[in-house]
Amino acid sequence: MRRLLAGLAAGSFLLTTAACGSSGDSGSSDKDASSGGTTTVKLGLIPIVDVAPVYLGVKQGFYAERGLELTITTAQGGAAIVPGVTSGQFQFGFSNMTSLMVAQSNGVPVRAIANGIASTGLQGKDFGAITVKKDSPIKSARELEGKKVAINTLKNINESAVRESVRKAGGDPDKVTFVELAFDQMPAALDGGQIDAAMVVEPALATVKSQGGVEIASPLVDVAPHLTVAMYFTSTRYQQQHPDVVKKFQEATAESLAYADAHPDEVRQVVTTYTKIPAAVLAKVTLPKWPADADRASIEALEKLGEQDGLFKQTPDLDQLLP
Amino acid sequence: MKGLNTALGAAGLAAFLALGEAVPRLGLVKEAYFPPTSRIAGALGDELADEAFWTALGDTLTGWALGLTIAACAGVVVGVLLAVVPHLREATASTIEFLRPIPSVALIPLAVLLYGTELRSVLLLVVYASFWQVLIQVLYGVRDVDPVAEETARSYGLGPWARVRHVLWPTALPYVMTGVRLAAAVALILAITAELVIGAPGLGSRIAVAQTSQAVPDMYALIVVTGLLGLLINVGARSVERRALAWHQSVRGEVAV
Repeated sequence: MRRLLAGLAAGSFLLTTAACGSSGDSGSSDKDASSGGTTTVKLGLIPIVDVAPVYLGVKQGFYAERGLELTITTAQGGAAIVPGVTSGQFQFGFSNMTSLMVAQSNGVPVRAIANGIASTGLQGKDFGAITVKKDSPIKSARELEGKKVAINTLKNINESAVRESVRKAGGDPDKVTFVELAFDQMPAALDGGQIDAAMVVEPALATVKSQGGVEIASPLVDVAPHLTVAMYFTSTRYQQQHPDVVKKFQEATAESLAYADAHPDEVRQVVTTYTKIPAAVLAKVTLPKWPADADRASIEALEKLGEQDGLFKQTPDLDQLLP
Repeated sequence: MKGLNTALGAAGLAAFLALGEAVPRLGLVKEAYFPPTSRIAGALGDELADEAFWTALGDTLTGWALGLTIAACAGVVVGVLLAVVPHLREATASTIEFLRPIPSVALIPLAVLLYGTELRSVLLLVVYASFWQVLIQVLYGVRDVDPVAEETARSYGLGPWARVRHVLWPTALPYVMTGVRLAAAVALILAITAELVIGAPGLGSRIAVAQTSQAVPDMYALIVVTGLLGLLINVGARSVERRALAWHQSVRGEVAV
């Protein structure tokens, strides 16, 4: 299924570029009708913990007080969000940094405009980790050589990160066998022995831990101390045509991120409104960090790893991509 | 006879549910990943009490019904048109055979590009998948028209419309009904798949959220709901079929036995 989705995502990138070449201005004016000083914009999100600040920001009125009315559309993964934004179905979207850089290097006109999430920067206390089964003989990322490691998407941010962890531990990442598996299926696969290790993020990480699984590395921290993992983005065309709306979105999102960072309890509460994470799991979830600004140095580190692993057709232009 | 069948059906279902309860309880599979029937039933109860569940059910049924209606109407109209104009049929035969096997799911990126995650992208997939079911059946049905009856109608001076109405349609109707029944099931599967993969609102996206939320019993509860929905749709389609074809020998024969 994951492989299918990845294929679809790749296909949709191609379609997107084609569509943008021909559609001209047709898609730009649809959903941002202004009425009484309020602009309605659509935001495409994945229903996960990471995007809680936006829900909080809407609740706190950070967007409304700037005249923005957010319509949140949830989609399953970047496969729907990136094409949705570039084709003008959504004005804004949420995606991980590697996907955004891959999109840009493929000529898909995306522009990151507001920070999304960052790793906690603490080894062993991040929201994502390489985990092994209880009583596994594997104790460090180096020992993953010759082992089967599950990641959610091949050739994306988590593969870069896991490879870096193996490298930092003195191993050869080329000797690791990566298999693609959805995060939510990883706990069972790990438990059942189909895989030797899994790169999981919350809330699957909490599930793994509750089964006695052990963290052996924090790959997102290994890439850079405060890695910017994901960002909110728009299409370059929308940014050129509506710089004022983008600016309002940036300001409101920055305020929301700061608020979320300062109110973890409210975050856990708001998450229950758009996910079905059981209360017992949610209480144990490690929250990511929500700094107001992206960490450019960390994105450069991620870019370097992507280059090394051959993820990009051509080097992404960070000056063009980042706010 | 009918009572016995019902009793056997109920016994089979009861045995299945008991098995679902026993297998995880005995530790043959992990309870965490395959919860026993009672826990799924509990989660189902929670779902039924949640207003958002009913909204999602409504969204799925809307996508299903609209998609099926469009596909059935288009399938019948196009099918009859192709049948009545032989050249058109020959001109389109290879195109139909080329398009028909394309899995609807492969159109997901296109649907997202065109319509985002709205109902319309669900409809695109549903209509594409169920249209062929109806069209192909109509084409078969038309081929089944008795040439003698057709010639007789012609020699009695019936116009094209009257021939379609009195000769072609009664022959093709059982096929059309079969096509619609198949399409009804396919439409439900595609509606839920589209919601699951794209994230359009509905039961499918609710299943996906439960999956990513590690809410395993909820996920199975929702899957049970989709199964029940499929069952109801099939039973409903069969009874509509039986009513619409009450005059037809296939159904008359069935009742007489």
